[in-house]
Amino acid sequence: MLKQLSVFIENEIGSLAKITSVLRKNGINLRAISAFDSPEFGIMRMIVDKPQITKEILTGKGFVVRITEVLAIELEDKPGDLDRVLHIISAAGLGINYIYSFVIRSGKAPLMVINLDNMEKGGQILKANGIKVMDEED
Amino acid sequence: MIWGKEESLPRAELDELQLAKLKETVKRVYEKVPAYRTKMDERNIKPEKIQSLKDIKELPFTNKKDLRDNYPFGLFAVPKSELVRIHASSGTTGKPTVAGYTRNDLKAWTELVTRIAVLGGASREDTAQICFGYGMFTGALGLHYGLENLGAGVCPTSSGNTQKQIMYMKDFGTTLLVATPSYALHIAEVAKSMGINPSADLKVKTGLFGGEGMTEPMREEMYKLWGSDMKVTQNYGMSELMGPGVSGECLELCGMHINEDHFIPEIINPETGQVLPPGSKGELVITCITKEALPLIRYRTGDITCLMYEPCKCGRTTVRMENLSGRCDDMLIIRGVNVFPTQIEEVLLKTPEIGPHYEIIIDRKNHLDTMEIKVELVDDTLLDSYAKLEELNKRIRGSLKVVLGLDADIKLVAPRSLKRFEGKARRVTDSRNL
Repeated sequence: MLKQLSVFIENEIGSLAKITSVLRKNGINLRAISAFDSPEFGIMRMIVDKPQITKEILTGKGFVVRITEVLAIELEDKPGDLDRVLHIISAAGLGINYIYSFVIRSGKAPLMVINLDNMEKGGQILKANGIKVMDEED
Repeated sequence: MIWGKEESLPRAELDELQLAKLKETVKRVYEKVPAYRTKMDERNIKPEKIQSLKDIKELPFTNKKDLRDNYPFGLFAVPKSELVRIHASSGTTGKPTVAGYTRNDLKAWTELVTRIAVLGGASREDTAQICFGYGMFTGALGLHYGLENLGAGVCPTSSGNTQKQIMYMKDFGTTLLVATPSYALHIAEVAKSMGINPSADLKVKTGLFGGEGMTEPMREEMYKLWGSDMKVTQNYGMSELMGPGVSGECLELCGMHINEDHFIPEIINPETGQVLPPGSKGELVITCITKEALPLIRYRTGDITCLMYEPCKCGRTTVRMENLSGRCDDMLIIRGVNVFPTQIEEVLLKTPEIGPHYEIIIDRKNHLDTMEIKVELVDDTLLDSYAKLEELNKRIRGSLKVVLGLDADIKLVAPRSLKRFEGKARRVTDSRNL
């Protein structure tokens, strides 16, 4: 499982850039990012190379930050592969809270980030179905 | 310890003392202050009419407008040459209200503030840091002389430059803090961001708060930030009456003891001016019975409270006024409903997921009043899902609806993004053009 950071953001011009500039100044590498349009406030979710340090830095700058675990799974770059994985998850009776993808990984297979209502069980089932679930080392 | 022997007089003796001083004051203002003579003559009241404490209700009220109309020294009962100090209130509209002191007034003021400090647990061993703004505002110099009189070590740091305040606090081993409640919370917050835990790393154990009211949830917040063993009290005063020193909480925390040998309190119905029986809630009216320079008669404070005459466990016999539930002029009328910002604060401060700072924005859209309340999110566990944030939003709205009977928009904002205050907090913006 991977550690994901959730950061509270206000719906204002430049609020995402405020976070990314903190990351840049501290040499933190952003690997995946997601934020939706919402009327008043949002949750920016991201995967970075140094989650614990990033949380401390951002909290020190006045951001509300939470670390949670997510699954990062490797897909094959061909039609229907995400569909295959999602069916495995729904067949196991698991709900997906949110899903987003990694930013481009040069020459490597696409990665999806998934948060489920039961993370342990989800990880086991996906692995049992031959799907590659990444951990921090990958 | 009780500082003044007058604080624990039997009621009958106190009444006798008040009556003698009241008679003397009424006679003096009638002779020396033309504005009072005119008002009394209009009502056909001669000073001799005052024969019992109950007769005070015959006297005319004084209100803020009288002070403005007679700006700067028109209501003074002594020639200007007798003044040794002049203060003015932070008037936001029009002319400020001016307060003057003779040498005796300053002496009395100092004594009364010492009483208030002792009520709140101060002692001569204390090192006191005064984080009120020094200047025309009576708060800083009032507490300054009162605490010096007690024998405490006084550091006049004034307000602002918060990081330096914290440095002094640490280096001097400050044990007593004088500030507005909102500034005290801000200092604690800044200390934390500097890596200093106020309850463990600082020695501040007594907080004498004033300049604005402190609600009970705000007091809880003080305990959380400054330590549960902190003595957290508030005191009350206004520059027109003298400044701080009118009343203050004792450590029993059951209302603020009024220095009745100097001030006679009444509670009136703010609409009709009718005096209400003890225990009723209404507007506080105060008559100054010892002041030489500015002895105001039946001054309408605009503050809503009630009086409690039951004896207090602390041993003092002076009447207590309930902690303020609002000011007549703070009251907002939103869609026809009377709303005191303190009611909103009570709800917000009972919600642990958000911080103690807030902003209320009132506006009018399509002829309908709107109320938006900005609060700072502090609890990161809510970031698991939008649903949790929505639930918080709904919960705050629901509690406000129960308390106020009104719908409000809640806007969650990032921590430390709302304005912080070094003096009195101004948390309400009313953009309606009424």
